[in-house]
Amino acid sequence: MKGLNQLNKGLLRSYLSLVLLGLCYLLLIVPFTGYMHSKPFIEKLGHLPRVEVFQFVAADQKQLVSASLVMKVMMYFGGLMEQNQVKYKLPPDYPAMSRIIHGSVKLDPYNMDAYYLAQAFLVWDIGAYKIANDLLAYGMKYRTWDWYLPFFAGFNSAYFLKDYESAAKYYQMAADLSGQPMFSTLAGRYMHKSGQTVLALSYLSAMEKSEKNKAIKKSYSIRLQALQAVRTIEVARDSYLEATGRQPASVEELARSGHLVKIPADPYGGKFFFEVEGRVSTTSEFTFGKPGK
Amino acid sequence: MFNIMSITLKGIFRDRVFHGILVVAFILPLIPVISTLSMRQVTELSITLSLSLISFILLLLAVFLGGTALWKDIERRYTYSVLSLPITRSSYLLGRFFGNALFMLITATLLGCVAAVVVWLVASGSPPDRQVVWMNFFLAVFFDAMKYILLVAVAVLFSTVSSSFFLPIFGTISAFLVGSSSQQVYDYVNSQPAQTLSLLTRKTASSLYYVLPNFSAFDLKVNAIYGLPLSLKGLFLTVVYGLVYGGIVLALSSVIFAKKEMK
Amino acid sequence: MNAIEITNLSKTYKGKKFSTVEALKNLNLTVGQGEIFGFLGPNGAGKSTTIKALVGLIAPTAGSATVMGVDISSHEARRHVGYLPENPAFYDYLTAEEYLAFVGKVFHLPESLLREQSERVLKLLELWEARKRPIRGYSKGMVQRVGLAQVLIHDPDVYILDEPMSGLDPVGRALVKDIMLELKARGKCVFFSTHITADVETVCDRVGIILKGELKSVEHVDKIMTEGVLGYNLRIRTRNQPELVERYVAKEDLEMVMQKLFTAGDEISLIEPSRKSLEDFFLDIVKGKIC
Ligand SMILES: Nc1ncnc2c1ncn2[C@@H]1O[C@H](COP(=O)(O)OP(=O)(O)OP(=O)(O)O)[C@@H](O)[C@H]1O
Ligand SMILES: [Mg+2]
Repeated sequence: MKGLNQLNKGLLRSYLSLVLLGLCYLLLIVPFTGYMHSKPFIEKLGHLPRVEVFQFVAADQKQLVSASLVMKVMMYFGGLMEQNQVKYKLPPDYPAMSRIIHGSVKLDPYNMDAYYLAQAFLVWDIGAYKIANDLLAYGMKYRTWDWYLPFFAGFNSAYFLKDYESAAKYYQMAADLSGQPMFSTLAGRYMHKSGQTVLALSYLSAMEKSEKNKAIKKSYSIRLQALQAVRTIEVARDSYLEATGRQPASVEELARSGHLVKIPADPYGGKFFFEVEGRVSTTSEFTFGKPGK
Repeated sequence: MFNIMSITLKGIFRDRVFHGILVVAFILPLIPVISTLSMRQVTELSITLSLSLISFILLLLAVFLGGTALWKDIERRYTYSVLSLPITRSSYLLGRFFGNALFMLITATLLGCVAAVVVWLVASGSPPDRQVVWMNFFLAVFFDAMKYILLVAVAVLFSTVSSSFFLPIFGTISAFLVGSSSQQVYDYVNSQPAQTLSLLTRKTASSLYYVLPNFSAFDLKVNAIYGLPLSLKGLFLTVVYGLVYGGIVLALSSVIFAKKEMK
Repeated sequence: MNAIEITNLSKTYKGKKFSTVEALKNLNLTVGQGEIFGFLGPNGAGKSTTIKALVGLIAPTAGSATVMGVDISSHEARRHVGYLPENPAFYDYLTAEEYLAFVGKVFHLPESLLREQSERVLKLLELWEARKRPIRGYSKGMVQRVGLAQVLIHDPDVYILDEPMSGLDPVGRALVKDIMLELKARGKCVFFSTHITADVETVCDRVGIILKGELKSVEHVDKIMTEGVLGYNLRIRTRNQPELVERYVAKEDLEMVMQKLFTAGDEISLIEPSRKSLEDFFLDIVKGKIC
């Protein structure tokens, strides 16, 4: 009888400690999750080993590892898109993103997601046009059937690098691969200065429409907004020039003179201004996380 | 030998390790969901994931079933009762091996078919830029199975060398890793930037390349995922390579095992 | 043809760090068909070593042996052999029935005979109820019975059994003895190792005693029993006394005492040899009193 009592007591104690520990867990899990959630992005992107290490460890799973690396950058990029409206704690680590993307195409040079993502952030967010085009050229060696890569490269060449010769070459390639002759006429249009914004707008709205991934779509739509704002200011500037015969001194002047109903906001949080040659620019440089903003 | 094969198969189907590994296969139906994470290549990602999962399952099977097949028999003293029957050591060994190999083939076929359905569903949901080349897909699964069967042969060799648990398991895993990258190392050593390495290093690396199994030849994933054309000659050479290399490994195992004392 | 012929068989185990164990030294032995041979020896004497060499599990360091005229280096030698390992283990995911089917197929038993034999031995060894359960769930004695069943199923000419009685209950032991005697009656050879002298006494024709790898003695059990007679217990009814009298007579005195009793006209109702048991014989050899 006594033995049985003792046994019950022991069992009771086990139950009690189980309940207590369970409570502790409940108390802990909320702050723990909060901490993990608020951990800065930079940490989540993490420090990845060199590509050579991946190449060895990935063994016969190179495509999978490549895909998961792109996913990692994707998530990170998506996180930036969500956080930017609020306030981000650290500037985005674009070099790390670029490094990972480059690593991922080393593992799987056919990975379209990698090129696509690279095109999305390399050119628009950090202005690494040359790097982007080198990456695209690397991809073209493998994805020989894909017209997207020359299409991107053509756009970069024309719009950012002002290298119309290369642009024409790339557009021709895209036209040949896709069977859509429209691309071959694109390059020519870029030569008109004012045409640039219009064509960037058409490029972006096309990209935005066809995009299914939320984060990328958002990045396109924000950029689209910014360019639409630029376009509005450009239109106002041109009508001001026509009316007065001179360039406006500032965006504010356009508003004061009534050519601009309302100064459009920069979705990146900057302020629009005219560069010396009259080009519309913004203090945000069309990107989040520019220091000194 | 066929008797050993059939009891080997029975053993695997009743093995708990196998049941555990089978659970991993339940990830397959999740692939369509995960694939939508991709921006531009949903179908390609679904093929990547399916083939990788199949590969992974086969790898686990090769290491844990192939690597422990002989070891378990020796450890649990089944060898006393089996090897004292009027069968030769090599027919026992080959029976064990082919039982495992047949099992891998069956698993690969089943998983391959399920994966094909999954990929087909994904492809009809979000059509890929390039048509899925089914021939390549099934060839990739088949060659994957061949690769892991070759790995089982290597595992068997390790088991005959040592009767401990560690060498077969970890030896097989290292053989797999090394065998998957031996081609890369070889290519690097024979490339321009590597000419600064000492001659000895290069010669050692090259000779190791000829001795170690070359698993990368069996990797047709990239062809399956992106529908890249396959070279018939390459496939033929790979099959013959697999047969010859596997044959050598098994013959070596037989010789060692025939000399082994069941004390 | 002798069932088993062993000539100059030696086995040296190589251990770690160059240590060696001479487990068997120059063993010579023949066992005929229709004979039950008991292999007796203390622990570590070399019984299992001999047996493992006979069934090809280990390679002898020197010497050779044949089973039914076939050299043991060939797996064909084992076609005539039913072998029961000591503390046997069988694929435990199989049921007893499946295991027997596997063994039967290895020995090329035709399907119908296999089924018949399987039923017979399973019933004989009282495994019939458990035949559909995996061996994993068997008790020690039941596994031993499976071991015996797989020996019997293919009806070999030579039975090599390493401690066949171990782990069995008294009924099982008796059963094994009956089986051995029945096999002998059918002209089969049974070679078994044991520590238990009583088992040898009751069933064996000959016994071999091995000690530290050396065969010390091979004797007919009958002979040991007769030579081991030390004296006799007589039960006598003398003419002048109605009650029976018990009297012990030493071996060498028997003739003289008998003569006396005869002349006295006493009635002898019983003569019982009092002998040294096989156990004593065995112990004497182990302690080095004989040889
Ligand atoms: N694998 C081995 N490695 C080294 N020595 C061994 C090995 N197996 C047996 N021996 C040695 O060989 C000798 C004979 O062993 P064996 O197993 O033949 O004895 P046994 O007569 O069957 O004993 P038991 O009655 O205990 O079964 C022993 O001294 C033992 O230590
Ligand atoms: Mg023994």
